[in-house]
Amino acid sequence: MATKRTMTLNLTDAEMETLEGLSQQKDISKTAVIRQALRLYQAIDARVQRGEKLLIENDSTKEKAELMLL
Amino acid sequence: MTAEISTIHLLEVASNSGVEAELRDAIEDAQLTDWRTHWLPALRTVHEQLIKRGVPRNQWPQSSHWDWPAKVAQVEGLLAFKGFCVVCARVTQGLMRIDLNQIARESRQAGKPLVYVDYLEVAPWNRADLGQAPRYRGVGTALLAAAVVLSREEGFKGRIGLHSLPQADRFYRDSCGMSDLGPDVAYHGLRYFEMTSEQADAFLPEEDEK
Repeated sequence: MATKRTMTLNLTDAEMETLEGLSQQKDISKTAVIRQALRLYQAIDARVQRGEKLLIENDSTKEKAELMLL
Repeated sequence: MTAEISTIHLLEVASNSGVEAELRDAIEDAQLTDWRTHWLPALRTVHEQLIKRGVPRNQWPQSSHWDWPAKVAQVEGLLAFKGFCVVCARVTQGLMRIDLNQIARESRQAGKPLVYVDYLEVAPWNRADLGQAPRYRGVGTALLAAAVVLSREEGFKGRIGLHSLPQADRFYRDSCGMSDLGPDVAYHGLRYFEMTSEQADAFLPEEDEK
């Protein structure tokens, strides 16, 4: 596995609670949640940079909404 | 980035003996050169033999159209994608591309992240299903085991998933013990298979990883 570097992450209570909730729900560590989020953000950003759109579809109504990436 | 190399063992069919091979956690230029200079000519020979034997096209290798240089270029620099390969006798024997941005579907682990095997292919001369004796056995299993190990390293507890080409359904179901979740209409109708952490423990006990 690639060498890892350590950093300190300062989060608000709400952010930490969200991180802990996701960690529990997804059955992965808090570090793994952050790493997953980074991978996903990069993958989506790369596609948006190429001119693609990020759409969320409601499975039952088939209604689509576009997500804007900052 | 330099690939990390682990030593694994394959079965050399001609001598019926184990041989050392390398499992590398990257697909590098050498692999793409091997694909062009060894895999493609071997595949052409296989196709010629299949034509001679009158084998219908629907029984030809279903991964024949996979273009590995394109598959590698498509995800270059993206953290979510990773390549693996097996090298033996200085030639690439198998290739795999994985995606870390997918989630599980099996009811016991639905919504949890897993290692999704995007593509896994062994060299044409290692395929037992093409009417020839394979040169090496164990390449596909070694690559799938690498996906399980990565899943554990990422904290995904061995969970992996993949869509299988019909010719490989039996391998994933019977040899690897994965759950068959049936055809996926959203993915060319290919069957979707998943390995739970319990199935991963049976397929590759953690103490056997080293």
